[in-house]
Amino acid sequence: CCSGSHLLVLIERSLPSLLGAEEVRLSNQTIWSLTVCNLPSQANHTEHHEGRHYSIPLEEVKAVFPHGLPYRFQQQVKTFNEACLMVRKPALELFTYLKNSNFAHPAVRYVIYGERGTGKTMTLCHVVHYCARQGWLVLHIPDAHLWVKNCKELMQSSYKKERLDQPLQASSWLKNFKTSNEHFLKEIKTQQKYVWGKRESTEQGRPLGEVVEQGLARVRSASDAVGVVLKEIKQQCHLGSFRVLVAVDGVNALWGRTTLKKEDKSPVSPEELTLVYNLRKMMMNNWNGGAIVTTLSQTGSLFKPSSAYLPHELLGKEGFDALDPFVPVLVPNYSQREFESCYHYYLHRKWLQHEQARTEAGKEELRFLSGSNPQQLERLAGPL
Amino acid sequence: MAAAMRRLLRAGGRRGAALVVAAGGTRSQTLRLIYTTTAAWKKNVAASGPEKYTEAFIKKQIEEFNLGKRHLANMMGEDPETFTQEDIDRAIAYLFPSGLFDKRARPMMKHPTEIFPEQRKIQWGEDGRPFHFLFYTGKQSYYSLMHDTYEKLLNVQKHQDQMAAQDLPPQKEKKNLVGSRWLTKTELEEMLLEKLSDDDYSRFIQLLQKLVTSPCGNIEENYIKKFSREISAQLQKVVIEPLKHDDRGVAFSTGEGERKTSRATVIVYDNGTGKITVNGIDVLHYFPVLQDREQLLFPFQFLDRVGKHDMVCTVSGGGRSSQAGAIRLASAKALRSFVTEKEVEFMRQAGLLTVDPRVKERKKPGQEGARRKFTWKKR
Repeated sequence: CCSGSHLLVLIERSLPSLLGAEEVRLSNQTIWSLTVCNLPSQANHTEHHEGRHYSIPLEEVKAVFPHGLPYRFQQQVKTFNEACLMVRKPALELFTYLKNSNFAHPAVRYVIYGERGTGKTMTLCHVVHYCARQGWLVLHIPDAHLWVKNCKELMQSSYKKERLDQPLQASSWLKNFKTSNEHFLKEIKTQQKYVWGKRESTEQGRPLGEVVEQGLARVRSASDAVGVVLKEIKQQCHLGSFRVLVAVDGVNALWGRTTLKKEDKSPVSPEELTLVYNLRKMMMNNWNGGAIVTTLSQTGSLFKPSSAYLPHELLGKEGFDALDPFVPVLVPNYSQREFESCYHYYLHRKWLQHEQARTEAGKEELRFLSGSNPQQLERLAGPL
Repeated sequence: MAAAMRRLLRAGGRRGAALVVAAGGTRSQTLRLIYTTTAAWKKNVAASGPEKYTEAFIKKQIEEFNLGKRHLANMMGEDPETFTQEDIDRAIAYLFPSGLFDKRARPMMKHPTEIFPEQRKIQWGEDGRPFHFLFYTGKQSYYSLMHDTYEKLLNVQKHQDQMAAQDLPPQKEKKNLVGSRWLTKTELEEMLLEKLSDDDYSRFIQLLQKLVTSPCGNIEENYIKKFSREISAQLQKVVIEPLKHDDRGVAFSTGEGERKTSRATVIVYDNGTGKITVNGIDVLHYFPVLQDREQLLFPFQFLDRVGKHDMVCTVSGGGRSSQAGAIRLASAKALRSFVTEKEVEFMRQAGLLTVDPRVKERKKPGQEGARRKFTWKKR
């Protein structure tokens, strides 16, 4: 296996020259094996593997990503019967940062940003999978925008009078959290007693799983359960027994505006929501032993123009100050090589059925029309 | 009786003459119109019989015009001696501003010969005897013209025979007919001041052709020049500009295009990657709709140069579809410089280089839109 990968690496080094020369007619099979082939999903992806796809076994997908993947990607997984992610530079960058980070220092915040459809969420999912493989505790919030809009039930919080609870969202998140981090829930113990109501309470020293069960059973207190989970994890991660990855998609929702209204039609600001309040506390860098990786998203954002994609535009002043020392990671459109790789992947999976799509001219046309934007390419390749 | 005779003769001069019956007795000379043709309704000013404006009247009008011109020059504070017709027009437009759309309806002051159309003067004298010997043919000017032209032709033939007899080579200096055309039928009618038929006109032109094409026809050049006009606006062959090079040594060329109300200017650079910028914004952001991007793709795809050029465009006006069409035309025009003539011809036949003439049609009164009528109600 080692020599095989060596060979692959050697062939790859000569790849740029091969790809540049137009006279060399590589058969589809060789291109497939050289550029796109499914790597075994090892955790040690390096720059050599840039541009290539690797597949995740479907059981792992269900375990690690109960709620994280974008909808279109989920459909693709169902169609192709496999989940293949492309290894791209931003993800590799994040891996190096995470590998070299010192966990005694406060948690570093990484903000993945980029134009619409360039692959920020997919990068985040890649990082989540990587960390899950390494055995970290993953707190994955798939889309923070879902918590600040379209909420059918808003209840007044029993814990604090002026805050508002969102039982539905909280309970769905708890369910997904349970599926993704089963074994951690047994290990982590609560450090204080929590009283949920007149008759329910969780003693000190009980496993965290009980808190989660409580939240799922008693939907009214689900938001408080979420808050408890976050607090416990934050308190205990610096002890060093496990690493924590807080992965939030659409973090700009936490500091924007909401579309929710109270009963007296006055607008709700994000701090008044329990979930958002607790999550904000998690995003502060006053704890160590883990990392915070977030994504900005314009697609679900409220009251933001569609051309905004930079951190300070989408986060606003408040959010920017709150997240202030962060490491920005830009996700660009596909490079030449990545585009070729994606194109050959679709070709190999027999997704491009149109005869003209299989020609060189068709490839150029796709490249032009999509502008090397991953989302556009995916939408274009759909009907073909 | 003489007067009635005259009237009949006048009526007979028109084509499709009206049938007139002199009814009644000798005392009352009432004329009753029985039948007219449509040709009689059309007003031929030039051939409408004896002039309505007498010569003296026209002369007086000319005097008044000149006097008025001097007055106007004085009013405007300019020199009466050097007051041209353009100055008159400007002065009138200044003194009598009008908002009417039709230029012919606005106040104007022109020389009487332009206002009062030329008409045929009375063709016979006081004794009733016509002046011209061909008067009774009905089309005296036409037949006299044919007569003169045939005389010239005979002249030329005589000259030719003389040259042949003297064994001199016939002069081969042909007048260049390329940049000139013969008079049109209307122009000839205006010249002769009488109506012609198509047949007459074609016979005359045939005679002129014969005159010109015969050797030694140059003798009568002066005569022929009266009947030919220059065609000034020749068909211009579209000039394709050569490639320019900017400071980095990259070849580029510009093009302009329009569609509906959009105007676009485009600079196409060589050695590119297919990156396109519109008004400083990336093409994916400016044209989020696939249809517009397909329009931009078309010229490049046609020439198989999809990823090879970069493009920087500026576009204004119109909506998203018309802006896309304008950029398409502009880029096709710019690409002509990069490409062989054959491919330019292919592009032209594909319709990439033609300006789309469709614009929004005017809404008409009495209708709801350009074509849509109001809902028809039975009652």
